[in-house]
Amino acid sequence: MKVLHTFCIVLLVFGSVSEAKFDDFEDEEDIVEYDDNDFAEFEDVMEDSVTESPQRVITTEDDEDETTVELEGPDENQEGDFEDVDTQEGDTESEPYDDEEFEGYEDKPDTSSSKNKDPITIVDVPAHLQNSWESYYLEILMVTGLLAYIMNYIIGKNKNSRLAQAWFNTHRELLESNFTLVGDDGTNKEASSTGKLNQENEHIYNLWCSGRVCCEGMLIQLRFLKRQDLLNVLARMMRPVSDQVQIKVTMNDEDMDTYVFAVGTRKALVRLQKEMQDLSEFCSDKPKSGAKYGLPDSLAILSEMGEVTDGMMDTKMVHFLTHYADKIESVHFSDQFSGPKIMQEEGQPLKLPDTKRTLLFTFNVPGSGNTYPKDMEALLPLMNMVIYSIDKAKKFRLNREGKQKADKNRARVEENFLKLTHVQRQEAAQSRREEKKRAEKERIMNEEDPEKQRRAKLRLKKKKKKKFSIFSTFGTLHQLIAL
Amino acid sequence: MSTNNMSDPRRPNKVLRYKPPPSEGNPALDDPTPDYMNLLGMIFSMCGLMLKLKWCAWVAVYCSFISFANSRSSEDTKQMMSSFMLSISAVVMSYLQNPQPMTPPW
Repeated sequence: MKVLHTFCIVLLVFGSVSEAKFDDFEDEEDIVEYDDNDFAEFEDVMEDSVTESPQRVITTEDDEDETTVELEGPDENQEGDFEDVDTQEGDTESEPYDDEEFEGYEDKPDTSSSKNKDPITIVDVPAHLQNSWESYYLEILMVTGLLAYIMNYIIGKNKNSRLAQAWFNTHRELLESNFTLVGDDGTNKEASSTGKLNQENEHIYNLWCSGRVCCEGMLIQLRFLKRQDLLNVLARMMRPVSDQVQIKVTMNDEDMDTYVFAVGTRKALVRLQKEMQDLSEFCSDKPKSGAKYGLPDSLAILSEMGEVTDGMMDTKMVHFLTHYADKIESVHFSDQFSGPKIMQEEGQPLKLPDTKRTLLFTFNVPGSGNTYPKDMEALLPLMNMVIYSIDKAKKFRLNREGKQKADKNRARVEENFLKLTHVQRQEAAQSRREEKKRAEKERIMNEEDPEKQRRAKLRLKKKKKKKFSIFSTFGTLHQLIAL
Repeated sequence: MSTNNMSDPRRPNKVLRYKPPPSEGNPALDDPTPDYMNLLGMIFSMCGLMLKLKWCAWVAVYCSFISFANSRSSEDTKQMMSSFMLSISAVVMSYLQNPQPMTPPW
């Protein structure tokens, strides 16, 4: 049985190595011939063949009988051995292969090789087998790009930080002489000056100043360019943009009269008129040129009424605006400031947004992006302008006519708003009434004392009756009048 | 009576504390870059992982870096870190599955 098993393994192996050569082997007659009796001879033959050709021998797993299997070597040899078994010819044992048997076969390879007489082509070794760094050039490029981005992040962040510090150092004295509290982040228990900027971002720095006559406080926001983002840096190479300083002064109610006024570059004013709630409502005309007051052509004016413009454009203000026109983006004074227009999803908001008397200033830092810390000194006169504006806003009062006009304007805006939201407000009032009724009913149901419950129900019934009777009375009266 | 120029304009009794502006929907409106980049980064990392595309994974890493650089102060650091880790894992998995170098698409 072991021999049979070994023989089966041999069969499988030969079958996988060459297919065409085992015609004799695959004949059924041959297979039939291999009964048990023949195996003994087969064994002998195999043992003999082992001694004669040891170099081409590979032993199988069940090699107890020292039967060998030849896996390599020419096919003719193996075929020859089997034929020895069948025919029991001793001569063929000694020869490696039978010449007669494979004449045809030898021709075929020759003919096939003569067909393809191609020159030898050296195929490139695939990249992953090359075992060199050069094939990974794209990966190296990617990593280099990332490193460049990180380097730019660090450099940009540091530059913004230095610019912010330079600005603060320049302006610190002026601010400290005007405000009690310079620098506050809102987290300390006591209101003490931190004396430093709040860093909101890698490119935005805030400073809160408070404790002065006329105004509640002043929020200064340094909006630098995103130097820490490489994409932004590359985009700025196409389109230069400036760093900006935005100042928002919140005035006390009693320290500012009611008017809306803006001056700045034409482009900025057009944008503000579209975006800002108060400018769009109160200054509906297009920005006018300021040449009448001596302003350069680059600046335009948006005003609620002519009197405000005349009052604002005094000598000193015109001096400031003319000398620093290149650094001024916009100056916006308003008692109805409520921020940009809010686009609500449900439609119009139900009530007017809260307004605050505010002075807003937007300045461009000189340099158009290529800013150095020393450029911050150029902004100091502008801060003087801000302080002057605060005092001026307190002093400037509209005359009687102006005040009437202003009040009319505000009433008009409110009326328009109410008209627009009439339907929504009605619905809101209705829903509020229903809510109240429901709450009342629920309260009655939840009342534990049955006596109290009964009394409350009675009261509700009386109320309903009264309402119904009033309505019916009105209804009949109306009908009578109509008749 | 001192003139206004001589007197100190400071009023310690009128000090108001700083109140951070309420965060309405405006932060997203001002600059949507970090949100877009975050989303793009996640999409590219998933593509890189599922479709075994190395260039997707690399683009995802870049997107998460850009999102981090543009992030607002109110941004959650956990989200940043998670998108960053996802993109790094996409790159690593792509190379583990297929150590061949990336082929340019052209």
